Amino acid sequence: MRIWYRNLDYLTLFAWVVLVAIGLVAIYSTTNGPSAEYLLESVRQNFRRQLAWVVISLGAGLTCLFLPVHFFQRIAWVAYLGTLILLALALLFGREINGARSWLQIGGLTLQVSEVAKVGAVLAGAQLISTMRPNSSRVKYAFLLLGVFMTPMALILLQNDAGTALVFFAIAPIALFWSVWPVGMLIVMTATGVAGYFSVVHLPTAIAFAVLFTFLVLWKTRERLYGVMAAVSSFGAISAVLFALNKVFRPHQVARILSFTNPGAEEFRSGVGFQLVQSKAAIGSGGLAGKGFMEGTQTQGAYVPEQSTDFVFSIIGEEWGFIGSMVVISIFALLLVRVIQMGIQIKHPFGSMTAVGIAGIYLVHVFVNIGTVVGLLPVIGIPLPFVSYGGSAMLANTVLLAILLNLHMRRDDFPIYVY
Amino acid sequence: MYDYKIRGRVFIGVIVVAMGLLSLRLAQLQLIRTDDYTIESESNALRERRVLPARGAIYDRTGRALVNNEPSYTITITPRSFDRGKIPLLADLLEVPDSVVSARFTELRRHSAFQPGKAFRDVPEDVFSRVAENFYRLPGVGYEQDFRRRYHTEATAAHVLGYVREITDSELVRLGERGYRQGDLIGKSGLESGYESRLRGRLGSEIKVVNVHGLEVKSWQDGAFDNAPKSGYDIHLGLDTDLQALAESLFVGKRGGAVALDVNSGEILALVSMPDYDPDVFTATMDPETWNHLINSPEKPLYNRATMNRLPPGSTWKPFMALMALQEDKISPAEHIYCGGYHPLGGSGVFRDMHVHGSIAVEEALEQSCNTFFFELMMRTNVEVFSKYAHMFGFGQRVSTDIGEQGAGLIPDSSYFNRRFPGWGPGFTINLGVGQGDMGVTPLQLARYVAAVASRGMLYTPHLVTRMVHQETGETLYPKIPAPTKLPIDEAHFDVVREGMKRVMEAGTGKWIQIPGIPSGGKTGTAQAPHERKDDSVFILFAPYDNPQIAVAVQVENAGFGAVAAGPIGSLMAEQYLTGSISSSPSRQWVLQSVLAVRSEPLDTEDDERAVADGESEESESGEDT
Repeated sequence: MRIWYRNLDYLTLFAWVVLVAIGLVAIYSTTNGPSAEYLLESVRQNFRRQLAWVVISLGAGLTCLFLPVHFFQRIAWVAYLGTLILLALALLFGREINGARSWLQIGGLTLQVSEVAKVGAVLAGAQLISTMRPNSSRVKYAFLLLGVFMTPMALILLQNDAGTALVFFAIAPIALFWSVWPVGMLIVMTATGVAGYFSVVHLPTAIAFAVLFTFLVLWKTRERLYGVMAAVSSFGAISAVLFALNKVFRPHQVARILSFTNPGAEEFRSGVGFQLVQSKAAIGSGGLAGKGFMEGTQTQGAYVPEQSTDFVFSIIGEEWGFIGSMVVISIFALLLVRVIQMGIQIKHPFGSMTAVGIAGIYLVHVFVNIGTVVGLLPVIGIPLPFVSYGGSAMLANTVLLAILLNLHMRRDDFPIYVY
Repeated sequence: MYDYKIRGRVFIGVIVVAMGLLSLRLAQLQLIRTDDYTIESESNALRERRVLPARGAIYDRTGRALVNNEPSYTITITPRSFDRGKIPLLADLLEVPDSVVSARFTELRRHSAFQPGKAFRDVPEDVFSRVAENFYRLPGVGYEQDFRRRYHTEATAAHVLGYVREITDSELVRLGERGYRQGDLIGKSGLESGYESRLRGRLGSEIKVVNVHGLEVKSWQDGAFDNAPKSGYDIHLGLDTDLQALAESLFVGKRGGAVALDVNSGEILALVSMPDYDPDVFTATMDPETWNHLINSPEKPLYNRATMNRLPPGSTWKPFMALMALQEDKISPAEHIYCGGYHPLGGSGVFRDMHVHGSIAVEEALEQSCNTFFFELMMRTNVEVFSKYAHMFGFGQRVSTDIGEQGAGLIPDSSYFNRRFPGWGPGFTINLGVGQGDMGVTPLQLARYVAAVASRGMLYTPHLVTRMVHQETGETLYPKIPAPTKLPIDEAHFDVVREGMKRVMEAGTGKWIQIPGIPSGGKTGTAQAPHERKDDSVFILFAPYDNPQIAVAVQVENAGFGAVAAGPIGSLMAEQYLTGSISSSPSRQWVLQSVLAVRSEPLDTEDDERAVADGESEESESGEDT
């Protein structure tokens, strides 16, 4: 008789425990610090509520760990359908928090449906790809996969939760890259992203990059078609960004997007730039070793709006310094690498696609969240997995990780030959 | 079939690049540009707050506290962080109308939008804790713990201690660089003003972490950069609280001043000016009515009569005249002068005496207070000599000591008469011989003079402060009091005058107010008051006769004969100081009761100008500081 947990990945479990602990310490510092008495009563409960959510998530995660692998394959589409229904319900009857109608009140719990939707979308995407046969039409599957992610994204956009919608938008190409696209597409995707980023930050750089990229592709491949693709993708990204900034978005939205490039400027500082100015001051003033637990002046003075949710990393940066920041980054790197490695080890497309979906979600969250907090990216409100205050994200991310641990642990239960 | 391994390596490569980018950015922020961001975070999250040192206490000669401090809480508002929508809430908690809060807010904002200003001082403890519980709902509202002056004894000693008040705008302009801020308390008169820098101590500072709403939430780095305040010096006085309290009670219903000195040191044992005020009214917010009374009442409670009043000394001047004449050889101790009830200069009815004294010598002339005798001494004396001797005793000038508010009095000389009365003759100066006419002295000057007579010519500098002791270190400072001088008058002449003053108390006008069992020397005086008013009552006394300890001078305005009002007060004061109580014998109790019944003639409002003229207007003419 084999012990059931023989193949459990302890390194991943360790990363989860450390990240959750770091998050709790950071939140504790904001709610139970010396300045606690000046906080609103509702904010003061943050630590206890987060602790409760950790317990709930742990329970849900453990449950997922005991289910057979086939269960997840079987419920994938059901879960996806349920996700869409929940999203629609939130759109119709949901509570609006911070301008986004993404919350559903279920009993005593307030659930952010857009977070939970990730579970359904990842499982459905994985289930879809596992039905692909060698002779299947790649284009068809590519569009089906896009549809799986874009449908919930559309609903979430309608809820006015642009940050979470962006996560769905970003996972699609990652999933495509893993399952359908040739490896070379990664280069094109990256180039598109870089060109788009620089067209916000510094337009001449973006144009120079697009020209350079196009010629590099032409020179390397000597294929006119690839050259045209490179030019279309990079210049297309620049045009799309410029069009969006000038024609689509309203001035205040443009200001929000552009403010990160110079948050201290007169026109931003008192408004959208305030959060970034304070966040960078918090992190920068942390120095090498940080100001110490509950000693961060920015943190204790609550200078960074949303400091325990989307800007939780500013607390770590201020109170624990560069060392603390690097610990968090390293643990995330460890977690992400392990998720990918587990995906490779599972071999079966369902498990593998689940792993890459999860890795994509975590990577986008971590990079965008920390990138925002340190002023590299526009302010996009998404939480840092396992660290930020917020129950729905904690639950969704933990359940996703538990499902992957389960699939990995029981990977021998998958049929060797699926076709 | 899927090349997961290659894709996996590519994905891991992407992860490493993404995390590497973030790490580089963090290194840039946290390792390279740390200093910039540290300045940025400190400039918005740290605030230096001043810590006021405990103001020094003031003790009497036996170590009893006259005034010290008790903690009081002041609600502050930082206008920049304050939400005007919270005015009703704050007003509700403070139990004041909304308009009061918004008025105070507007006033504070005028001074500084960013600094917390003292909005409501000395808030009662229960109100304070109610507000404190709601700080989280009141951005920009904070508190400071202040010290409030607290007065302890039954003696108010208002004109000795003075009072503290909130600093005014013009003082702020003048004193801002010495660390005073809007809302600070500053000594405004008396010792509180004169010893302001010693009492106040040195400001401390604390660095506080301020939250985004402007509230101080904790100390920075556990106070590593805080400076503790250096508290002020406690001031010890020569004042005898029991004596002071008795003197104040004896002045009930009267206007005037009294000063008691230690004959052998010049320490002020008591200094009374009536009407006075309760310094405690300045510690809280004062209602306009009280303030209006203090400022505009014709009785001028803020005015220090003991050191500024300028009244003629009347017959208390006669010992001085005798000393001067003896020293200047205008008369010998045995020489007799004939008194026919008036001085021949003006015939009968001009320079009058109360009695016909017949042929009389110095000692008897003092005992009987013979006007004719002293008119004659003045006739024999040049007014310049008169002025010189008066100044020698400290009249006609302020004394360099620790009393800030002083009048110079008025001692005329020939240039004064040339200016005021061109073509003047002896008829203009003869009145000076009996302490009337164009002259004025303060109770303080009179006391100093009688102490000099008591000690046969030692002229001490009257002073309040005996030492200053630092609250923490125990370091003791002594005030720089000018050394006593020996008057250039033969001691034998003093013996004659002292004998005459003793006879006053044994057989003259002071007989009824002798101190039981203690021989003394004294002289009553009755000074004509202008405007047809009742005479001013004056008295000087030293005791015990053989080994003088205390010298007293008392002026009571518009209260009649010297022996009726000022005399009993001086005598009872000396008894209190020498024996510690007032004798319960019926005759002594009768003295006490009778003086308590004496009243100064009330001031009519139309006479306001008199008080003003007496006190202040001509001071500059003859005032010269020594």
